[in-house]
Amino acid sequence: MDPYNTDEDCVNKCNLNGSPVLDRMSNDLNHTKNIDDIATPSELNFDQEFDYEEPEITEKKKEIEQCLKNPDIVNVDKWQSFARSKAGLISDEYRKVIWPLLVGVTLEELTDPPSLDELSTHPEYNQVVLDVNRSLKRFPPGIPYEQRVALQDQLTVLILRVIIKYPHLKYYQGYHDVAITLLLVCGDRASFPLLCRLSYGPTAPLAPFMQLTMQPTQHLLNYMLPVVRRADDRLAECLDKSGVGTMFALPWYLTWFGHSLNRYSDVVRLYDYFLCAPPLFPVYVTAAIVLHRAPQVFSCDADMAMMHCLLSRLPDDLPFEDILVVAQKLYEENDPTDLEPEVAALERREEEQRKLEEERMRRRRAGRVVPRAPLSSRLARYLPAPLRRAAPRRTILAITAALLAVYVYYRPDIFRMHPNEDK
Amino acid sequence: MSHSTSESVPGLKQKKVFKIIVLGDSGVGKTCLTFRFCEGQFLDKSEATIGVDFRERTVKIRNEDIKLQLWDTAGQERFRKSMVQHYYRNVHAVMIVYDVTKPETFHSIASWMQEIESHGLMSAPRVLVGNKCDCGTPESRLATTYAQRLADKYGMPLFETSALLDSECDNVESIFMTLAHKLYSKQPLRVISIEGELGPRCVTLTRQKRPARNDTCLCS
Ligand SMILES: Nc1nc2c(ncn2[C@@H]2O[C@H](COP(=O)(O)OP(=O)(O)OP(=O)(O)O)[C@@H](O)[C@H]2O)c(=O)[nH]1
Ligand SMILES: [Mg+2]
Repeated sequence: MDPYNTDEDCVNKCNLNGSPVLDRMSNDLNHTKNIDDIATPSELNFDQEFDYEEPEITEKKKEIEQCLKNPDIVNVDKWQSFARSKAGLISDEYRKVIWPLLVGVTLEELTDPPSLDELSTHPEYNQVVLDVNRSLKRFPPGIPYEQRVALQDQLTVLILRVIIKYPHLKYYQGYHDVAITLLLVCGDRASFPLLCRLSYGPTAPLAPFMQLTMQPTQHLLNYMLPVVRRADDRLAECLDKSGVGTMFALPWYLTWFGHSLNRYSDVVRLYDYFLCAPPLFPVYVTAAIVLHRAPQVFSCDADMAMMHCLLSRLPDDLPFEDILVVAQKLYEENDPTDLEPEVAALERREEEQRKLEEERMRRRRAGRVVPRAPLSSRLARYLPAPLRRAAPRRTILAITAALLAVYVYYRPDIFRMHPNEDK
Repeated sequence: MSHSTSESVPGLKQKKVFKIIVLGDSGVGKTCLTFRFCEGQFLDKSEATIGVDFRERTVKIRNEDIKLQLWDTAGQERFRKSMVQHYYRNVHAVMIVYDVTKPETFHSIASWMQEIESHGLMSAPRVLVGNKCDCGTPESRLATTYAQRLADKYGMPLFETSALLDSECDNVESIFMTLAHKLYSKQPLRVISIEGELGPRCVTLTRQKRPARNDTCLCS
């Protein structure tokens, strides 16, 4: 087998925060046809019809239906256990009622939304509309055109209502992916209080994303690597060495995977869980996904671009039930407070790196030319990984020194090797 | 291994890699332009970019395979600071995009220039691209002469194009190739990317071609 095929594939198809474009393109073609084909009305439902249903699921359905007959006497713990256990809340019909209950939305909170015209003067209006207009992929295939446009308007209203109610919360690209998931499942009346709960408050999971800067989000994403490291040191090392950072997981976290998964059923399943999980839980799911994909990570070049490309593209067949179980276990074994020192160390290291970089930039602007890092360490990066790991420090130094000599010999202007350092 | 390489050491694939960062306000068409270049078609259901997307394409310059890595960034302001910073590392060239039908996206260019200056990229090859030429009327579009003045001020070539029109495909191609050629001719030595099984334990340093000289590789 050619081990590079995977990388090659990855590169060729890589795009759009990692969704496989070719696959999606073909879907889209159908999609377009369906949307235009307004004559065939369709239910707003992407639940897959299974011919066969596991007995366990049939049993769970019965139990949920029993509870739904008299929801007032059902404890929230019960809903949570349904949402967490295998297959989650199973169907959108149940989700529609149970999601609001999971976050404690009451009937009185269900109010009719204002009209779009009333909101169109908001400073974020243009950005929201721009993103909403580009959210076609999130609608059920075959949805009639009018219905889709109406839903898009509802989506814009939903988002603006929240940021008008809480003016200190800032809209971010990706918020619309969360909002649309809630809207499609719960409708426009219930999704507003639901989205408010998720956005506002000391433990609201989306609140950190809506601050003035993305700094808090960046910080929370930094929990991923330490979680991975505790489970698989070698994997963490591999990620670290590639310099891939956390950007590949940013859209996952910001949208609770809504932006990055092709299968609607996976998205709502994850939302079942996240709606009753601690705010940082999606980061543990991210870690679990990376752990699940360890073999691919190991066979990928230790190169930022390749690694970013590989990881950001989520395969369509991820076993989310297993991943959630692993993520839960990771959470129980590595509480966020336990991880703080590791996260702090990681951030200190990044900060130092950043300072070095800044210093370099400052001096460069001042007219002096300095190398970005000790040359030996830069060159050492290009040593074959096994050698780098196995060889004693001295050997590396010797090889590096030899290389350096050759290097300098051929390039007296060595300190200008970086293109953007050229005068 | 599916593509041809300029092989000098058995078992070692090597290609020069040029990293280009694409900047500009949200909605100007950065994603569509990079998609057009890499996939040869218009992305008709583009989505908001969250963070940074990556695409790449291999091109040939003087018979040499060059890998162009395009880093398509999110236009929304809040992603710029902290998040995207990491991706400026080792950038070789910059493309700034604006929307010819939205003057405010043109006026943001100054702040994008500041941004690239703060990353020490003022001397890197840069291009300015006015996108969505297919939209509006000549009167409603930002005047070319006006845009040209700014481009001259910053010393970068201006291109006007459309990611949407198939007829502009060649033009989009030539914009990216302009950057690639510039990088190619200006490159001093770079450590090339190493792909493939590392048979011999060897680090390959190639001497970059200077326009008037022949390629020499230290290892060959
Ligand atoms: N008419 C026309 N529309 C275009 C063109 N290029 C892009 N668009 C449309 O403009 C919108 C924005 O395009 P994107 O490529 O997603 O914009 P972007 O710059 O990547 O935006 P962010 O990811 O938010 O930073 C989409 O709806 C595209 O369909 C073009 O050349 N002509
Ligand atoms: Mg984009």
